[in-house]
Amino acid sequence: MSNPTTPQEHPVSFLAGLLSYLVPGLGQICQGRVAKGLLFMVCLLGLFHLGQAMGGWKNVYVPANDELSRLEDRIKELRKAAEPAADEINHVRQSMNDIAGQSRRPRLQQLPNNLYERWHYLGQFWIGISAWPALWQYFALPVPEEESHRFFHDLQSRPWEGEINEFWVDSDKTPDLGWIYTVIAGVLNILVIYDAYAGPAFHGDPREPKKEPKPQEASA
Amino acid sequence: MTLPLAMYAQLPILIVVISLVYSATRFDRWDLILREAFRWGSRMVGFLVVIGVVLFLVTSFIDAR
Repeated sequence: MSNPTTPQEHPVSFLAGLLSYLVPGLGQICQGRVAKGLLFMVCLLGLFHLGQAMGGWKNVYVPANDELSRLEDRIKELRKAAEPAADEINHVRQSMNDIAGQSRRPRLQQLPNNLYERWHYLGQFWIGISAWPALWQYFALPVPEEESHRFFHDLQSRPWEGEINEFWVDSDKTPDLGWIYTVIAGVLNILVIYDAYAGPAFHGDPREPKKEPKPQEASA
Repeated sequence: MTLPLAMYAQLPILIVVISLVYSATRFDRWDLILREAFRWGSRMVGFLVVIGVVLFLVTSFIDAR
């Protein structure tokens, strides 16, 4: 007899858990629990992106403190100038391209320290693919051209301090709520991953009285 | 968003999402999910209201002195 308070009906599925990590609810959809999967997908991706929008798309990133990050800051600083110096921007960009490849291994080694500096990303990471651009930017991998795709060029990149200061001075507490939303969305997805992996915590209504086995069943 | 209370406009979204997602990880049946979500939502709203009332009373007491 199956106990209604213990999960036994769902087989354990590592693949479903992985899919729900990549995209919230995808594992449930593949298991045939489509409505529930869509609920997770809409709620969590909606919450995560709402949080990013509330923070001006500047609250999901992995910080870095090296030569490459100083050059990145310099470019953003130059771009903010009233008359951006195109020659200097190109020169700095060239220097960035030169050292980008060499910076990846040191950045990988510094990742735990950098995450300790900004622990928010440890919660945001669990939303799946939606938080991967931050790692992509951190490892200085190729991004779309700035002139044609400014949004995707800067998506989840480490913001320049001047940019952050300017944004916060002009804002109320909304950006604060924004990063909290993104972290909550990521952490909630851990529950969703477990639901896809091992099924829900309860099958049926735990308040319903347990059925006593019939004498024949008990003797069998 | 210039009004001081405007940032709380997103609070209901947060409460609904947390209640629904948490409840949906506990049950597969929709009637049970919705019932559990309503219970969790009510508890969170109640908790926040109590905190709000306590803070209001404390500030009123401080202002009155």
